[in-house]
Amino acid sequence: MEVIEAAGYYVPPEFEENVRAFRTKVYQDGEIRLHLKIPSVSRAMVEVLIDYLKKEREKYLAHQPIERIVDVLDEASRRWLEKSYPYRELVLKTIPVITGFSREVVETSVDVEMESSLREDIWRALRSEIKNPLYLDDFQYSPELDGYCRAFGPKLIVAFFSENIPGLPHLLFMRSALVKAACLGKVAAGEPTFAPLYLRTIEEIDPGMARCMAVLYWRGGEEAIEEAAFNQADAVIMFGGVEACNSLTNRIPRRIRVLVHGHKLSFGVIGRKKLRHQELEELVAAVAYDCSMFDQQACLAPHGYYLEEGGEVSPKEFAQALAAAMAKMNEKMPRGTLSPAEASAINQLRGRYEFKELKGDDVLLFASPRGTDWTVVYERNPEIFRPSPLNRTLWIWGVDDILRILPTIKSLEPFLQNAAVAIGDEREEELIRRLAELGITRITSPGKMSLPSMMWHHDGISPLASLLHWCDVEKKDRIGVMKKRKKGG
Amino acid sequence: MNELPQGVKELDREILAFIQKGVDHQDLEELNNLALRTFEFQYKHIPLYQRYCQKRGMTPQGLSSWDQIPPLPTDVFKVAELFALPFHIARTFMTSGTTMPKERGRVHYDEGGLRLMDATIFVAGSAFLFPDGVKTLILIIAPSPHIAPHMIMAYGMDRLKDEFGLPQSRFLVGKDGFAVKDLVDELRRSEAGGIPVTLCGGSSGFVNFFEYCRKERLKFQLPRGSRCLDAGGFKGKSREVGREEFLDYCEEFLMIPRNFCVNLLGMTEIASQFYDNSLKNFTRGVDAPRFKVNPPWTKTLVVNPETLEPLPPGETGLLRHFDLANRGHICAIQTDDLGRVVEDGFEIYGRAEGGEAKGCSLTIDEMTRALEA
Repeated sequence: MEVIEAAGYYVPPEFEENVRAFRTKVYQDGEIRLHLKIPSVSRAMVEVLIDYLKKEREKYLAHQPIERIVDVLDEASRRWLEKSYPYRELVLKTIPVITGFSREVVETSVDVEMESSLREDIWRALRSEIKNPLYLDDFQYSPELDGYCRAFGPKLIVAFFSENIPGLPHLLFMRSALVKAACLGKVAAGEPTFAPLYLRTIEEIDPGMARCMAVLYWRGGEEAIEEAAFNQADAVIMFGGVEACNSLTNRIPRRIRVLVHGHKLSFGVIGRKKLRHQELEELVAAVAYDCSMFDQQACLAPHGYYLEEGGEVSPKEFAQALAAAMAKMNEKMPRGTLSPAEASAINQLRGRYEFKELKGDDVLLFASPRGTDWTVVYERNPEIFRPSPLNRTLWIWGVDDILRILPTIKSLEPFLQNAAVAIGDEREEELIRRLAELGITRITSPGKMSLPSMMWHHDGISPLASLLHWCDVEKKDRIGVMKKRKKGG
Repeated sequence: MNELPQGVKELDREILAFIQKGVDHQDLEELNNLALRTFEFQYKHIPLYQRYCQKRGMTPQGLSSWDQIPPLPTDVFKVAELFALPFHIARTFMTSGTTMPKERGRVHYDEGGLRLMDATIFVAGSAFLFPDGVKTLILIIAPSPHIAPHMIMAYGMDRLKDEFGLPQSRFLVGKDGFAVKDLVDELRRSEAGGIPVTLCGGSSGFVNFFEYCRKERLKFQLPRGSRCLDAGGFKGKSREVGREEFLDYCEEFLMIPRNFCVNLLGMTEIASQFYDNSLKNFTRGVDAPRFKVNPPWTKTLVVNPETLEPLPPGETGLLRHFDLANRGHICAIQTDDLGRVVEDGFEIYGRAEGGEAKGCSLTIDEMTRALEA
């Protein structure tokens, strides 16, 4: 029996003495037992902590050049990409015990997250949103304005994570650092170990930056604690279900900027020209990857793929080939363990479709032989978009004409996020335009659904620019030290 | 209505006799005998089920006990008609589920099947709800079968009313909803006249009534011998209330002691009912923990949610029920209720629900709620 001690929180080392009462949550999975240390959080503690974070930001982070910040974040990602990095090793043990994800799933996700969080991408994300990242350091000449601009981030961001997708908190701490904001993250009960370890990496590299960051857990809806956090926040970023986000939003004072990332859903579309024998193996592997990453739990993962009839490979044949690819993927990157409810939902769905198949409906069911590891269901011309019970359960919807899916998609408007599109003829452009009009915020290729870049306007939001406020000097005269400089200086 | 085939009538006679032996016997041999014959009948007359069994290599010849009979998940009744006597449909019950009316589960009964169900209602009702033989005024917080012809609970409570109730027994949910003032009047009359009451209905109806009582500052002192029978869980129709809290309210507002509060698990897919043992135990002076009893013509297994393979008694998993009175459709039903087997019955912990979402993807429940709102 291996016993692992881990912290379900992070506060800067100098603040540690203020955290006194803890409870230990014990998780066990096979030969690993995890003792997770979770502090009791009170309103008073949050008030003092926020005060500390903001003061440290004022002393340090607010004055760090953006280049330095990017270097620190890049170095953190590099450390996490090293196979022997102890914190990486640790989360590969803790996350599976807590969430049930397999080690392979967690490992793949750490690699994917960190590879897209390196220096080059961070600069590109900054340039994409802010044009000249040096606006974050000082006034810079803006040729469009023919004046000088300076961008300021919030003093304090409070971020709410209501789910277990390990990469999200790290992304939010990166964004906070880039806009030079202190950040308090509230993690979900589901997976509180990744974010604290990421912040310890920051602490190794730049203790001053880490002194502006903290992660705590409290039960969602603890109004006194949340009120204390809102009282001092300039921005709130939240991830969560519709109801949870609504409940929080209603309690946030109006002066605060709020970015909401509600639960969303995604799907894929493949036209008949792309359904060819020669590329079938590659294509099914891509789709299997899309719906196996994070066991399909991320909103980027497809619930189903629409496939057009009339190609060289029929949607039915595709479904069969996909089943084989899902089995292969499950060997390479096994699906995690499920709660009874999750497993039951898949078994009920399988029963339902097995009977539809038996009674002669135009459906096919492919299912892993024992247990619920993966399920592929083919259905012809579905009337509605039926969400998948997830955990590697994918619909393959056969349709006569790919453009006819649009009315069905329209009914999902508030929830649309990500679509893989591969049409292979002139209709691709039209489809992309129409999907964009319906509110889809990311369009990519099959196999890339789970791999958004840092440049993505996350859920249609400019995640960095939305946090900034600006000062523009609309004066022709040059003032003080501000020199007319070339863009990017 | 065509007359039922001779073989069915013969089988029904034997099942009926088995049910009528009451709840205090165990006859596994006879249960297995009837189970296998019923399975053979269903296998023969429900072609979809036959193909389903054949795919799994299961035939009547290959089985030797009730627990080998292939179960069907409850959701199957939402997509397929599974009825052995399609020309003899006397009654159809449907599951609730308001969002997609087309997707309600449907279970049919022929006259013979209804008689079996009636027998289970009578025998189980005598044993678990009226073990003391007291005649009560039955007041039902549910619509009558006239208003809700497809609701199995309405049918069952109607039978209880006719079998066990005093003549003025009645339903209290009409076309205009819950006639709460009528219920208050009835309860006051019963208090004054010393007539014991059996208050039955959906669990959510009880909770809504308790909340009404709290608001209106009403309390009743129902005569000794009064009792509660609640069924059906909450399903968003009222506040969710834990069992202990529910029992507290029965004492607080109605003065009905805990032992006289009986919860019942009934399902559209299952003809029989599973009652709490509380009142039966109390009547016999037995002090034992509360659980749901399997009457001898039923069995309950717990299975691994992932593989659907049976788990040893005592472990928690999904409940799978076997019911001989399901003669007309499928005897073995796989539910998505979590529970565990204890002694000659089981505990149920409610529907296996997702709890906190694991990821950031929209869930089926969330989408349903959002589109309804």
